[in-house]
Amino acid sequence: MKFAFYPGCVSRGGCPELYPSVLAVAHRFGIELDEIVGASCTGAGVLQEKNRFLGDSLNARTFAMAERMGLPIMTICSTCQGVMAQAHQRLRDEAYRAQVNEVLKEEGLEYKGTVEVKHMLWVLAEDIGVEEVRRKVVRPLSGLRVAPFYGCYIVRPSGPLGYDEHPERAESLERVIEAVGATVADFPGKTRCCGFPILTINEPASMRMVAKHTLEAKEHGADCMVTPCPLCHLNLDGQQPKAAMAASQDIDLPILHLPQLVGLALGLDSNVLGLGRHIQTTYSVLMKVGVQVH
Amino acid sequence: MLQHDVLVVGAGLAGMRAALAAKQAGANVAIISKVTPVRSHSNAAQGGINAALTDRGDDWKEHAYETVKGSDYLGDQDAIEILSQDAGRAVIELEHMGVVFSRGPDGLLGTRRFGGQQRARTFFVADITGQAMLHVLFEQLLKSGITLYEEWFVTSLVMEDGQCRGVVALEIKSGKLELITSPAVVLATGGCGRIYEPSTNGLIVTGDGMALAYKAGAPLMDMEMVQYHPTTLKQNGILITEAARGEGGYLLNGKGERFMDKYAPSMKELASRDVVSRSEQTEINEGRGVNGCVLLDLRHLGRQVIETKLAYINEVALDYLGISLAEAPIPIRPGMHYMMGGIKTDVHGATRVPGLYAAGETACVSVHGANRLGANSLLDTVVFGRRAGDASAAYAKERGHKNVSEAFVADEEARIKGILARSTDGDSVAKIRLEMGQVMNDNISVFRHEEGMKKAQTTIRRLKERYARVGVQNKGKVFNTGLIFSLELGYMLDVAETIAAGALARKESRGAHARVDMPDRDDANFLKHALVFRTESGPRIDWLPVTMTQWQPQKRVY
Amino acid sequence: MQITLRVKRYNPEAPEERRSWTQDYKVDVPEDSTVLDSLIQVREYVDDSLSLRCSCRGAICGSCAMRVNGHAALGCKSKVQKLLGKDNVIAVEPMGNQPVIKDLVVDMTVFWDKIRQVQPWLQPQGPEPEAEYVAPNEAMQHLVGVMGCIMCGACVSDCTVLEVDKNFIGPAALAKAYRFVADPRDGHAKDRLGLYNKAGGIWDCTRCFECVQVCPKGVAPMDRIMALRDQAIDAGFIGSYGARHAEAFASSVEHSGTVNEMSLVVNTFGMFNLPKLLGLLPLAIRAGYKRKMPPLFHKPVEGIAGVRRIFHKAEEQQKAARG
Ligand SMILES: Cc1cc2nc3c(=O)[nH]c(=O)nc-3n(C[C@H](O)[C@H](O)[C@H](O)COP(=O)(O)OP(=O)(O)OC[C@H]3O[C@@H](n4cnc5c(N)ncnc54)[C@H](O)[C@@H]3O)c2cc1C
Ligand code: SF4
Ligand code: SF4
Ligand code: FES
Repeated sequence: MKFAFYPGCVSRGGCPELYPSVLAVAHRFGIELDEIVGASCTGAGVLQEKNRFLGDSLNARTFAMAERMGLPIMTICSTCQGVMAQAHQRLRDEAYRAQVNEVLKEEGLEYKGTVEVKHMLWVLAEDIGVEEVRRKVVRPLSGLRVAPFYGCYIVRPSGPLGYDEHPERAESLERVIEAVGATVADFPGKTRCCGFPILTINEPASMRMVAKHTLEAKEHGADCMVTPCPLCHLNLDGQQPKAAMAASQDIDLPILHLPQLVGLALGLDSNVLGLGRHIQTTYSVLMKVGVQVH
Repeated sequence: MLQHDVLVVGAGLAGMRAALAAKQAGANVAIISKVTPVRSHSNAAQGGINAALTDRGDDWKEHAYETVKGSDYLGDQDAIEILSQDAGRAVIELEHMGVVFSRGPDGLLGTRRFGGQQRARTFFVADITGQAMLHVLFEQLLKSGITLYEEWFVTSLVMEDGQCRGVVALEIKSGKLELITSPAVVLATGGCGRIYEPSTNGLIVTGDGMALAYKAGAPLMDMEMVQYHPTTLKQNGILITEAARGEGGYLLNGKGERFMDKYAPSMKELASRDVVSRSEQTEINEGRGVNGCVLLDLRHLGRQVIETKLAYINEVALDYLGISLAEAPIPIRPGMHYMMGGIKTDVHGATRVPGLYAAGETACVSVHGANRLGANSLLDTVVFGRRAGDASAAYAKERGHKNVSEAFVADEEARIKGILARSTDGDSVAKIRLEMGQVMNDNISVFRHEEGMKKAQTTIRRLKERYARVGVQNKGKVFNTGLIFSLELGYMLDVAETIAAGALARKESRGAHARVDMPDRDDANFLKHALVFRTESGPRIDWLPVTMTQWQPQKRVY
Repeated sequence: MQITLRVKRYNPEAPEERRSWTQDYKVDVPEDSTVLDSLIQVREYVDDSLSLRCSCRGAICGSCAMRVNGHAALGCKSKVQKLLGKDNVIAVEPMGNQPVIKDLVVDMTVFWDKIRQVQPWLQPQGPEPEAEYVAPNEAMQHLVGVMGCIMCGACVSDCTVLEVDKNFIGPAALAKAYRFVADPRDGHAKDRLGLYNKAGGIWDCTRCFECVQVCPKGVAPMDRIMALRDQAIDAGFIGSYGARHAEAFASSVEHSGTVNEMSLVVNTFGMFNLPKLLGLLPLAIRAGYKRKMPPLFHKPVEGIAGVRRIFHKAEEQQKAARG
């Protein structure tokens, strides 16, 4: 199984622990990742505010590059996935695609509209399959209660993200949590917004979102939270101390990237997974699943 | 006690337009509505609003003539002249307020064709014209600062010395009854479609104003004139706009024939509504239908037209039938839609009760006579709404305020307590409503005959007796919708009785009143309005000549 | 078809401990019923104390918004068959972010206050023409998409920001605001943009797509908010952190093809905005210690010249399209 790999900016910027953990987990499942060299940012929805056509053109450039590689794209960020899926949907329209291709022409690129874009979560849940994930587990995370946190862009808008054809995507994270032997700590906020996009604009509101989701998850028995979105991670983990201060309440909820959770169950080294690089310590999780910390 | 110069009951198009006019005339105005203004049923109007704009080479006289002909000569021609002469101003005014009317390539207002008219003179906003107008009038209402009693339900009119002096109303949220006094009250409560089952009308369209006025002694007029719209969905009665045919849609029978060729060789699908509905019903009755329906075929209009100009009905077809209009014809049938009849008013909206005005579907001026042309009703609401607002403000100024006894509230409190105290064993408001709806739809519909209408009349009488004994389960005060339904059913039964009375009295066929036992129009004896008065022993009919100015009755051919 | 409606109920007149409860109603409904049809059946034939608003049954009056299986929707647009969960249960609750009056009826006072806040009426400039305003049909068609809003409140119910910040004007009111900014007949676009640019306005939306997802009329409030942001910047309102963040983001992509979080923060707050920068410091220090700091300077992606060319072409196209 081979993908054109689109790591996005954050997995090597604000969340440098994500990138190596993706590679390690992919390797275990025999997923070959061929990185799309020279791919640009998707625009993350921010660029699209300013100029949607610009965003679509940049994504079409990435799609065209993957198309040339003859591979489907794998993303590792809910936001990248969502923004690409929306662009992908709009680029289905032939007239619009022609307009965008006009811009790509000078680059010697043309997007023909054949590429598929998939988040690693779906690759695990659908292409590899939860059964296979279960088979590869060497260190079942039994007893660990994990709250799923999806990130807006991997659930909405549901049309471009293929939920009509794949209704089971609505529970993909839960299914992976179960496949690695952990228990799902379901809570109402799992598909809500983490607050990251307004961090610099309305910080108090952003902090209330972090506190709300993390505390709610804890109320529902979570030992930790897992997310397929590094931007959510930046807020839920990186801003957790501040959110706790704003809420005048301890939170102390470790937030794991999806491949970190899966990697633990595959028996990968916690250093490779970068579990020591979070703001909110993951020590309690490691203890609970019986990992020696050195 | 709450006091205003003018109190408008109803915040649909007619009510809001009246309130704005009265406010502009300097009155202290309040508007009261049982639902938030933008929930009013004017919302549902899809197709458009008629006006003959002279700068487009159209002539108001043509519009007036076609309205007269459409009304089967029962419309009052002085009122119809006002309607069509004022139409251009009214539409431009709406445009200036902000209605986003569709345009032509020149950036000027565009038109589409509607039934019963030779010319395209219907102005529209895609197929959400009513909604677009209603929301814009609501914007103007917010701007005006007019007092709004939102989700207040009027339970009775305050009558003293034969004059209307205000209302008693229930604040639905708290369950409190309040007296609101004003020297002038404008009823703009809309139609009474829910008397029928099914109907294109929303669940809130229950004839409240008609019943209130009737009880207060104002006569209702031409109540037998109930319009069946040719294109409604079988399963829930939801309307498919006439604009579908205005844009070029076909009606087909089960054999795939465009059957309107037979009934209206020149105007075909765009003949008057009564004509089209009868044609459809004939096809169905004679076995050329499809499961009690005929088909509306829009495929040839193409996706582009359907998705821009008819987007809402496409959404409806997808939601409720799972059919895209671009891909397949949809089954439709005639369904109860509109009341030509209503509270009798003059051209200023004045009823025969001093201090009481009416406008919109609840009123009967009469501009629609025995059959309303599509897109003339929205026009009616804004033209006569405005006039009623002006006239009521002038009346209020002249009369001034009078003190009214709080005893009116106590009476209403006692009445409502009585309803809540009644038992709910065995019978229910819902059962009575359903029986009423069915008996009306079976017997006073597209085709009628003596026996059926009598049956409807006696059934309604029996249902009224049952109604007087039935209570509601919910005894609470806060948002007691059970109680509201009960009160609405009371209104509907009263109005249903007047419909049956009018229908039985009119011994001819005219417009929507098509009797199989008396198939001909009888101008010698029935070129006149039927007025219905309330008496202790039931409705009493009186007759009133039709006002004629320039058009003499002719045979109606389309 | 046998279904169970699991309705969240509330009766303010009941004794405190029995005010809210969940009630199961088993009803037999036709296959093509909507949730509203089923609730009406309950109300008419089972329990008339169940309060809800409804009228048109055709998704046009905006009365019947409620939460169905956890998400805001119109009852009359929700087909039962598509919603049945385990044991044929459908969960029905009142809308969120608005206080409940009784059962499924919520108090929309705040909703309307926010609509009022955006000055929701046309404010033309200059003398009124005698006839209609001349305006391109495309512009009107575009507005019809926004006028399609039926003020049902579904978007407000599920807005993630309103959940934590009552001050936010919210999706419905901002979509309404857009309707006037985009109306060629309105003469006060700039004043309006200034008003909506304030705290609680267009920059407070997190772009979470909830409103787009739940809106039953395809109004896509979030997209309208994004259009307002762009126009606010165009109109010269570039001082807000939101505007600066958007600009910093774009220039980062233009410069390197990717985003650099450090430069984003510095450019958003300004190099000399010490309080704000210091506010982020605890994080920065802790992150540095954990080897988590994003690199201060980052290399452009391979082929950056191409990215820049695309950038400029797309920007020019947009400018040209706007005239
Ligand atoms: C589906 C449909 C499509 C239509 N399409 C068209 C069209 O294309 N063109 C056209 O010209 N006409 C059309 N019509 C007809 C037209 O829409 C209506 O006749 C018109 O809008 C009625 O407006 P109104 O203001 O009189 O009443 P409504 O809009 O029904 O308003 C009635 C008001 O009265 C209030 N009210 C009622 N009872 C009480 C009470 N007891 N206490 C307090 N308040 C009360 C209500 O709350 C409401 O605000 C259509 C009608 C329907 C049903
Ligand atoms: S996108 Fe913005 S307005 Fe819409 S729900 Fe999310 S935060 Fe609210
Ligand atoms: S934008 Fe959509 S969801 Fe929001 S109030 Fe309007 S119609 Fe309802
Ligand atoms: S009943 Fe009108 S929107 Fe649902």
